[in-house]
Amino acid sequence: MAARLAWTTLGAALVLAPQVLAPYYRSLALAILADVALAVAWAIFSGPTRYLSLATGAFFGAGAYTTAVVLGRLAWPLPVLAAAVVAAVMALVVGTLALRLRGPYFAVFTFGLAELAKHSLIWFETSITGTVGRLLLSPPGAVALYYTVLAVAGLAVVTAMALPRTRWGTALIAIGADEERAETLGVATTRVKIGVFALSAAFMGAIGGAMAPRWTYIDPQVFNPLVSFQTVIMALLGGPVTVAGPVLGAAFLGLLSEILLVKFRYLYMLSLGLVLIVVVLALPRGLAGLVRARRPGCGSPSPTL
Amino acid sequence: MAEELGHRHRGRAEAGLGVKTLVLDVVVGGLTTGGIYALVALGLNLQYGLMRVLNVAHGEFLMLGAYLTYALHTGWGVNPLLTLLITGPTAFAVGLALHRLLYARLLEGDAPESLESRSLLLSFGLMFVLQNAALLLWSADLRGYSYLAIPLHWLGTVFPANRVLAAAVALGLGLAFYVYLRTSLTGKAVRALMQEPEGARLVGIQTARIHALCFGAGIAMSAVTGSLVSMLFELTPFIGLPYTVTALVVVILGGLGNMLGCLAAGLLLGLVETAGVYLASSDIRLISSYAVLSLILLLRPSGLFGR
Repeated sequence: MAARLAWTTLGAALVLAPQVLAPYYRSLALAILADVALAVAWAIFSGPTRYLSLATGAFFGAGAYTTAVVLGRLAWPLPVLAAAVVAAVMALVVGTLALRLRGPYFAVFTFGLAELAKHSLIWFETSITGTVGRLLLSPPGAVALYYTVLAVAGLAVVTAMALPRTRWGTALIAIGADEERAETLGVATTRVKIGVFALSAAFMGAIGGAMAPRWTYIDPQVFNPLVSFQTVIMALLGGPVTVAGPVLGAAFLGLLSEILLVKFRYLYMLSLGLVLIVVVLALPRGLAGLVRARRPGCGSPSPTL
Repeated sequence: MAEELGHRHRGRAEAGLGVKTLVLDVVVGGLTTGGIYALVALGLNLQYGLMRVLNVAHGEFLMLGAYLTYALHTGWGVNPLLTLLITGPTAFAVGLALHRLLYARLLEGDAPESLESRSLLLSFGLMFVLQNAALLLWSADLRGYSYLAIPLHWLGTVFPANRVLAAAVALGLGLAFYVYLRTSLTGKAVRALMQEPEGARLVGIQTARIHALCFGAGIAMSAVTGSLVSMLFELTPFIGLPYTVTALVVVILGGLGNMLGCLAAGLLLGLVETAGVYLASSDIRLISSYAVLSLILLLRPSGLFGR
């Protein structure tokens, strides 16, 4: 009950925020909301299944590049929808190929994906279309962007909350616990994995698509492996098996990056690495796990990643 | 086509000599690149094959080794080849310390699947820390020096002496390590732990000690490769990751934990890449190594020479 009240209050505050916030704080809130959406979307798939996906940057990049191509031809927010579809289709293909791999193989494969997409796109654009980037003319207004990102983030949070109560959510947890046993017990593991992987990718693509108009010029460098890592760190810092965890982690690191990234870029990256090391060694269940540990007997035993 | 390229590269008149030169160029160029790849991959393979720790910060130690040699050579005038005697032991000590501080805590008592992804994340954290520390220390400017950049004439073509030397040292060290693994008692313990961890423990092999030694040895190999690389190319704090990727490709090509396969795969990848660069263009190089990595992961996860 208290939790529901907190979520509702947070939602209402975020809806009203652009009316009262100065442009700088509105753009800060926008960046953090995008981080929240990415972390929650990552945790939808990787939280229960424990497949360590580093493909976030690839899906984000695919979404952003899609918007860059179709903006001006489609009315807002249709480019965001197109971005989500492109990322989901990409995830279907990648998932079909890669979700047979377990452990570090899967992580390495997904990590290579962003680089492979980036370099293939550079090669394609320079040798076939003859461009290296795209100008984003006539972007939508800042407030429209804010509400688009808020809508995607809200949808991601609602999905993440609803999914565990469905049959697919249960199947995901079973896959994370013991994939072979789940398959023996009749769970269609492949279909569930690929489906939820695509669902999570759709949110990542939508965020990429919605954030793209913030830059006036987009080139293949938008496929950034840093996005993948930041997302994993945010989700793990908060604790990937709850919904509140990734939200918490993303808000914390989003603020940290806002303070440090512009002025001390290398120092920010260095501290990001330190945070990751500390989280892995000291907080296997994230910040949310700390809260849970103090209240024994509440909730199901949560797996660590 | 190949002949034309040969002419353009070397400007030779006779067509027959052109083909022969081109083949020789690719073979020697490929083997020198491949020797470097083999040594850096051997270190990664040792860590993964033994501990299931996929150290993606591996290339960062190569970068640090290269900077150490650069600093010693330009600052104190130490012969770059002699700096191997400093970078190797230093990196070994750093490896022991890192194992003690970070990885030993993960290796004790965790479920294997959770160990693999957590150690992966740990080394990603390490990668960020090392790369950005190097950026703060040395900035992103290109650094380099010239050492033994003299031409060697052999069979009608020309090779830079430093490349041949670097590759020979790298291959020599790689082979020496392989022989050490096959013949020494410690090497036997390492191989026993790779094949049958529980059985090895039962006969009294000290797991933690072997893990620490191999972690140190792996990092030392990467740093020593870095010292060799610094003789050939200019340095930035970003040179590590491409070598990590290449080492991963080599390890996966040769089969995880397979040392001889790893040496062979390193040479093979060097040859293929050099041929690709000669025949197509250097832009294709990164795409092709990621593509090779993905394909092998999907088709033959146990490696080309896998059991």
